[in-house]
Amino acid sequence: MNDAPATSVVCDAGPLIHLDQIDCLDLLADFSRVIVPSVVWSEVDQHRPHALRQSGVKFERAKPSAGPSVELASLCRLLSLHAGEIQALQIAQEFRAGPFLTDDTAARLAANQLKISAHGTLGILLRAIRRKQRTSEQILEVLHALPARSTLHVKRELLTEIIRQVEN
Amino acid sequence: MSTEIRAELPPELLAQAHAYVEEGWATDVNELLTEALRRYLESHSSQLSEQFIREDVDWGLNGNE
Repeated sequence: MNDAPATSVVCDAGPLIHLDQIDCLDLLADFSRVIVPSVVWSEVDQHRPHALRQSGVKFERAKPSAGPSVELASLCRLLSLHAGEIQALQIAQEFRAGPFLTDDTAARLAANQLKISAHGTLGILLRAIRRKQRTSEQILEVLHALPARSTLHVKRELLTEIIRQVEN
Repeated sequence: MSTEIRAELPPELLAQAHAYVEEGWATDVNELLTEALRRYLESHSSQLSEQFIREDVDWGLNGNE
């Protein structure tokens, strides 16, 4: 799996919605292109109408030029992926774009099978410390508020463990 | 043995489920919901979700970009 310096990312709806809920969507400004599949764009627009108008983030609406590969189509059926997830994986394959951002386990499993690097909201939050977009204290505050402020579901014990990891 | 539950569903989703049953793809909505839930739980196993989040934490904190 290639985790070389990311210049672009392809987004599923989850991270866009979750980052917007916790006022952290600006963290995506660190990527030169934030590719949003057209189906995902409509979904995010419906739930968080202002999210994709975030200044400083280079959102780019995209559509795959052809149908999914046989491998992708089979995986999508097996894992019951949504239309947005399918388009995002197609675009990640077609554009050979950087990481695929998703918070969906099945979509991530499909990405692994297709050898597409995938990360989620938590990865972007913690990356912000490494990339000096936020201080550890700021991210800790966000992590503590995560269950109340976002619809991202993380097992309580795991979130506590992540918080401890950031504190140390 | 099965247990009766109450759930609120978006009307469009329920309409799609009814149409699917009427077309003959499932015996009834109960069977469809059971199968959908089973598939969801299989593809979103707690262990797998945790593994992906741990990988994400490692990338976030220690990635080499």
